[in-house]
Amino acid sequence: MAILASEFINWTALWKIVVAALLGGAGVVIVFGFLLVGVKIANNAKDGGREWAGYALAGVCGAFCVAVVVVGIYAMVNKPSSKKPAPKKTAAALIAPSGRSSL
Amino acid sequence: MGSELVLILVVIAGFSFDFTNGFHDTANAMATSIATGALKPKVAVILSACLNFAGAFISISVAATIAKGIVNPDVLAGGSGLQLVLAALIGAMTWNLITWYFTIPSSSSHALIGGVIGATIVATASHEVNWHNLIQTVIIPAVLSPFIAGGVAALGTYMAYRLIRRLGQREARTGYRYGQICSASLVSLAHGTNDAQKTMGVISLALIAHGDISAAHFSVPLWVKLGCALSIALGTASGGWRIINTMGNRITNVESPQGFAAESSSAAVILASSYYGYPLSTTQVVSGGVLGAGLGKVGSRVHWNVIGQMLSAWVLTMPGAGVLGGLAWAIADLFGAHSNAGAIVIVALAAAGAFGLWTLAQRNNITPEDLDRTSVTPVEEAVMSGVPPAVAAA
Repeated sequence: MAILASEFINWTALWKIVVAALLGGAGVVIVFGFLLVGVKIANNAKDGGREWAGYALAGVCGAFCVAVVVVGIYAMVNKPSSKKPAPKKTAAALIAPSGRSSL
Repeated sequence: MGSELVLILVVIAGFSFDFTNGFHDTANAMATSIATGALKPKVAVILSACLNFAGAFISISVAATIAKGIVNPDVLAGGSGLQLVLAALIGAMTWNLITWYFTIPSSSSHALIGGVIGATIVATASHEVNWHNLIQTVIIPAVLSPFIAGGVAALGTYMAYRLIRRLGQREARTGYRYGQICSASLVSLAHGTNDAQKTMGVISLALIAHGDISAAHFSVPLWVKLGCALSIALGTASGGWRIINTMGNRITNVESPQGFAAESSSAAVILASSYYGYPLSTTQVVSGGVLGAGLGKVGSRVHWNVIGQMLSAWVLTMPGAGVLGGLAWAIADLFGAHSNAGAIVIVALAAAGAFGLWTLAQRNNITPEDLDRTSVTPVEEAVMSGVPPAVAAA
């Protein structure tokens, strides 16, 4: 069963996807929550220091979220199927007999 | 070389499939934003349509492939290639319309692959299909993807609701709505990039089989890019309200933090899998994300009967589209494998079937007005989620 699983499952890609999804998915949700907390702290602050701390927290969290979006767009533009392969002489340029399908 | 008429029918079928792909998958990006009232339904689908159109032009140096590594390429590019691709597209499109009629989100990609495999098996033989690659690159990712997206979304949702204790319902609701719009937009863009290219690949393949463009110096013609981008955008803009209702309202009652968690997780999984060469179905990822978001909120209710219906449809998608693709080929073959008459007959039958399903769907039509939640108050939203009004108002 283990041999079958390793033959059919690309573990190398899978663990990278899980890590990226945790950072870009759950990570962004959590950081975005702290961004909102920062804004609330700043809005309810009774002194300048607390207000700036709130905005700083919101700013750092906002920068993280923007960075994740930029990385996402980079991944979209540079995905493997967007890279131009060497020309082939047959229609295999479109449909190769081996390799991964693009869903 | 196939006939000009069959090529034209393939192009029309390709654009039509892209249109069905668009309205079938609008829900993936926008269902949660509509369900939480972050966007008005019509605004959401127009935004999604624009981003799908733009996405179709991102990274198009090589169009994505159809059934790459699963079906022997010589079969699709050979003498009967045009008729075979036409049968596959008709099978996939008809399956998309059937699942749309039954309001079930299912994978358009799997339908297309199923259509190709079905037509290939009937036209040639099963040994032209690489079953090992099918399991490795389609079946296994399809099984894993909802779990990955669901797990990530559940974690994100759970953490979001812990933070909401510090925020208060009103701030959280407003704040996460803005986040939702952003994450849903990213899913729309990714959808345009992935899905419009598939049909570009199909039409380009037909052009190669017909001898119009060279496989050795292959590039997608501009009119194909524009046509596919426009078809998927128009399909997206047309709504697909039936599936939006299922994805946004029938799996679980989605609140804005849950919607944001579901869409962010889905976007992250889709983009990461695409980048690392492990392509997944957008529909299955987003469905898993919405389910995870439902499970991640303590006390939230998940409608397992709807999940059961979706799972059944996912299991049936490839065989179902395969049977329809094979049937289309068999009918066309009755008139001769290379005849125009066969191609015309299957296109006419598909058009009649599509019209019939559309007519039936009008009996229990769902309109954008039915789905509009922009005027729902926080108390009403909480009551819909099962929270007592007194708690919701606090």
